[in-house]
Amino acid sequence: MGDIVVLVKPALNPDMVRTKPDGSIDIDAIPLKLDDIDANALELAKQLKSALGGKVVAVLLHKWGSPARRNRDLRMVTQEALARGADEAILVSDEKLADGDQIVTSQVLAEVIKKYVPEYSLVLVAEASIDQTTGQIAGRIAAKLGVPFISYARKVEVADGKVKVERDVEDHIQVLEAPLPAVISVTQEINEPRPPTLIQIRRAAKKPQKKLTASDLGITPQPKKEVVQYRILTVTRKQIIIEGDTLEEIAEKLIQALEKEGVI
Amino acid sequence: MASVLIVEGSIGEILESITVAKLVGGEPVVLAYGSAAKSGDLGSIGARVYKLDAIHPDPIFNAVKKLYEEIKPIVVVGHGSKNNRDVLSRLAGLYDLPMGTDITKVVEASDSYVVYERGFLSERAVAQEKVPLPAVLLVNAKVFEPASPAGASEVVELPVEEGQVKLVGRLEKQLSGINLEEAEIIVGVGRGFKKKEDLKLAFELAELLGAQVGATRPIAADYKWLPEDAWIGISGKRVAPKLYIAVGISGAPQHMAGVNNAKIIVAVNKDKSAPIFKFADYGVVADLYQFLPVLIKKLKERKGQ
Ligand SMILES: Cc1cc2nc3c(=O)[nH]c(=O)nc-3n(C[C@H](O)[C@H](O)[C@H](O)COP(=O)(O)OP(=O)(O)OC[C@H]3O[C@@H](n4cnc5c(N)ncnc54)[C@H](O)[C@@H]3O)c2cc1C
Repeated sequence: MGDIVVLVKPALNPDMVRTKPDGSIDIDAIPLKLDDIDANALELAKQLKSALGGKVVAVLLHKWGSPARRNRDLRMVTQEALARGADEAILVSDEKLADGDQIVTSQVLAEVIKKYVPEYSLVLVAEASIDQTTGQIAGRIAAKLGVPFISYARKVEVADGKVKVERDVEDHIQVLEAPLPAVISVTQEINEPRPPTLIQIRRAAKKPQKKLTASDLGITPQPKKEVVQYRILTVTRKQIIIEGDTLEEIAEKLIQALEKEGVI
Repeated sequence: MASVLIVEGSIGEILESITVAKLVGGEPVVLAYGSAAKSGDLGSIGARVYKLDAIHPDPIFNAVKKLYEEIKPIVVVGHGSKNNRDVLSRLAGLYDLPMGTDITKVVEASDSYVVYERGFLSERAVAQEKVPLPAVLLVNAKVFEPASPAGASEVVELPVEEGQVKLVGRLEKQLSGINLEEAEIIVGVGRGFKKKEDLKLAFELAELLGAQVGATRPIAADYKWLPEDAWIGISGKRVAPKLYIAVGISGAPQHMAGVNNAKIIVAVNKDKSAPIFKFADYGVVADLYQFLPVLIKKLKERKGQ
């Protein structure tokens, strides 16, 4: 007991969406980044580590297309996870696992945890990712591991083999308590992740990293969800920048434009 | 006839989900928990209803699991509330069911599969996906017309079966009760505001325009400068005003997803390369602390005329 697993997703960066001429999404051309709320999960792991007495293990799964094309991105995301406080990283990347659905993802991640981090006390997962935003991986993994699950954590404390969580629900906060080990999904509000320092980045390069394939895990992926198509959502905004010599002039022009639109 | 298990924590959402059940061609069976379980309207929705007096996930999950095993539904449907996502992702994990979330459209439905659409890449794109049944489907609010209540229902109360996660306390959120979804004009505030007191500039602007004030997630949920029901975006409210004025907001896709349906978007940001200008109709590149007072003055003059 005592280890903390943080699931880290090399996610498609939605700020850099690329399309093909026919309007479909060019997945291979969109850079991968360490998913936003994974940074919060890593920060939390760093804070809880001393109370649990184990190590922090980042577990990453490559999902988008052939891993061979993504070596550089995957290396960067793994390094960043280590620089943000993970002591070790395990990256699963395999042609066979590419473009799997959430069933495959959760089978793979649960298997990695069982086989390679059996002494875990906590599994920390972001409430949702920036590319698919389905928010279902944490719950699936908890069910597969057969351990307690608490979602949408805004505050997490551990003591005496128990975890106490303030969980966000739409109109109130629930205070929940569970025995360890447990799976927890964390919100963006839980902390303010600090960007890694130069020293942390340099140290990251020396930390242990493991690479796994589907056969290491004994998994034959059987996805059920099929993607029919991905297409860009066309935003047709006017994108007019209102210019003027003075702010008065700009304000007047803006008011006129809005009057003309009939919205004020 | 196959059944569709509807899982909801609020009564309004049940009727929308009954419409989804009809789309996939199943007999709706409803599990109502939380405030839905307490609603006096439960008896008249015209479906078999189980009610459960619980608000936290473990007992809800235990009830869902039991019903799932008992009635073997072809689809489990609900809205994407935090409780629903929690318990239904566990159900999906337990039985390796495919789970479609944040559904904005059902394209095709049969007794063996469903094709639907949802946002992708923080809603900068759309994904069309096909799942075999049985499956879990989480739908977005107000996408499906509510079914009309179809008469008397048999309501059975289920026992609350606790799990390992215990509810030991509850903290209330200060909510404003404003209905941003109905607002005609919204002034949206972001981290361009340096402190809470400065929001009075936005409130003054809003008052002149008869507008409501909304916010990005950090302003409402993290800093708590505004109540959380002012939170607009992919994980907050989706609004459709005729005018949205975004002040000091960078234009992250997760925020903009909530204002896609605004008729006109105005952006005020001091950084001319802020992404928001690509998603706005009219942009003003200026420091909000200088521009808002001028805009307010001009609007006052206009009103005075
Ligand atoms: C899974 C997930 C879900 C999320 N859900 C939501 C959601 O529902 N809603 C949401 O809003 N966010 C959401 N976010 C967060 C989102 O990614 C952004 O972090 C957030 O929207 C940024 O808020 P902001 O624009 O206020 O702040 P920032 O991105 O920090 O932008 C502040 C802007 O203010 C400008 N500025 C600074 N000073 C001034 C000044 N004096 N005058 C004018 N302009 C100034 C800056 O140029 C900058 O562009 C989510 C994130 C994730 C990962």
